[in-house]
Amino acid sequence: MNVEIAGLTRRFGRTQAVAGVDLSAGPGVFGLLGPNGAGKTSMLRVMATVIPPSSGRLRLLGRDPGGYGPRREIRRRLGYLPQNLGYYPSFTVAEFVEYFALLKEVPPARVPVAVATAIERTGLGDKARARLRTLSGGMLRRVGIAQAIVNEPELLLLDEPTAGLDPEQRVAFRALMRECGEHATVVVSTHLVEDVGAACTEVALMNQGKIVFHGTPAELIARADGTDAAGDAPLERGYSAVLAAARSTTGAWA
Amino acid sequence: MNAFEARLETELLKVVRERGAARAQTWARRPGLVERASGRLLRSPGLARALVTTPSLLLPWLIASAVVLGAGAGATLDTGRPLVALLAPAVAAAGIAYAYGPGIDPAWELSRSMAVSDQMVLLVRALGVFAVDAALGLAASAASGTAVGITFGWLVPMTAACALALAAATVARSANAGVAAGLAGWTIMVLSSQVADGRFTAAISNSALILPYLAFAAVCCVIALHATRAPRGTS
Repeated sequence: MNVEIAGLTRRFGRTQAVAGVDLSAGPGVFGLLGPNGAGKTSMLRVMATVIPPSSGRLRLLGRDPGGYGPRREIRRRLGYLPQNLGYYPSFTVAEFVEYFALLKEVPPARVPVAVATAIERTGLGDKARARLRTLSGGMLRRVGIAQAIVNEPELLLLDEPTAGLDPEQRVAFRALMRECGEHATVVVSTHLVEDVGAACTEVALMNQGKIVFHGTPAELIARADGTDAAGDAPLERGYSAVLAAARSTTGAWA
Repeated sequence: MNAFEARLETELLKVVRERGAARAQTWARRPGLVERASGRLLRSPGLARALVTTPSLLLPWLIASAVVLGAGAGATLDTGRPLVALLAPAVAAAGIAYAYGPGIDPAWELSRSMAVSDQMVLLVRALGVFAVDAALGLAASAASGTAVGITFGWLVPMTAACALALAAATVARSANAGVAAGLAGWTIMVLSSQVADGRFTAAISNSALILPYLAFAAVCCVIALHATRAPRGTS
């Protein structure tokens, strides 16, 4: 298993963003669904080693990120796209991707090919020499994806990767996720259930810091059977049914 | 996805990789002399790149430093007072505070997930800022005809002011707090030295202050390192 999580919590002051999550994931595309404030981004940030957990056990790629050496080894094999990608406006696309390839300690001799391949895979070949300040929001998102995959990561964490992409780009991106998921564990946090249906082999649904469903997209669809859950698509109805059930047990506002 | 589509995707990926390999030659950037030398010295091409890109990431600071020190050189020529020597530590402290951190570095969150630690990136950026400011300050001092003792006398106080700004910025996680601490610290030092010694330039010309400056800088560096250490967390 590339991701092994047991009893993981993460607090920010008095707020508990992640409240005792158990999760394991091997190669494949893993979708993380949930409403705003469910704790998805905090989960991804912990898995990206950006913030430490408050308690619980976390193993990534068979290593404990609590120690300096293992954490560095994990980070060499990690790709991360934050929800809000910060970028240096004066960098070109190629310079930006190259900078993070070097910080990920991709061997220098391999960097040029790795950078060019990542840029081609995200369809930015024609923009490789464009300054980041000249790009649209969708293109910047693809630049973020390019830096995330430049080291051919074994664990790829993507927070709202399709936000800002047009339908055609979204279809291409789902194909890219499936490719990556053949060898790596890809964890995608998204609001778009179409992404889950099209690309994910497994899905977890978070609500109030907890995982309230974990299974395949087909199993999520089946949760809507016999309910009057709202939604325009089968996955949306499954999503609504699971959330409604979780909220009825906690008494939370729907 | 059926077998045909899967094969198609694999073939497409192969084409993309081949195209990437071909394009790599076109896009490849040859590191300059400074970057290659820094890479060997720091034993990390990533840190070397972070070092040489620092001035371009902090362009407003670079321009402000050049303007302030240039004006200081002009004023020194006019008044005969070593204003460059007194301005350089404050300018460098402000630059150091803005070298890195949440709210300042746009890619800070991404940097936190990199194999080369953000603490090391912070240190090389601080070094880059310090080196550029030292070079600008020396040039301004030389241009204004300041005495050699004063020209070099401000380098140690500048180290202390920079270390204070860095420590305050990293502890408070605020560049503005770092700037405020650096400027306030240096102003207090200049004024209190003047009161104690009676000379306007006492803060930069009194050799008895060198050791206290260095000790203070060392303490501030330890604080900055502690504040930026990677959290161990629970696992």
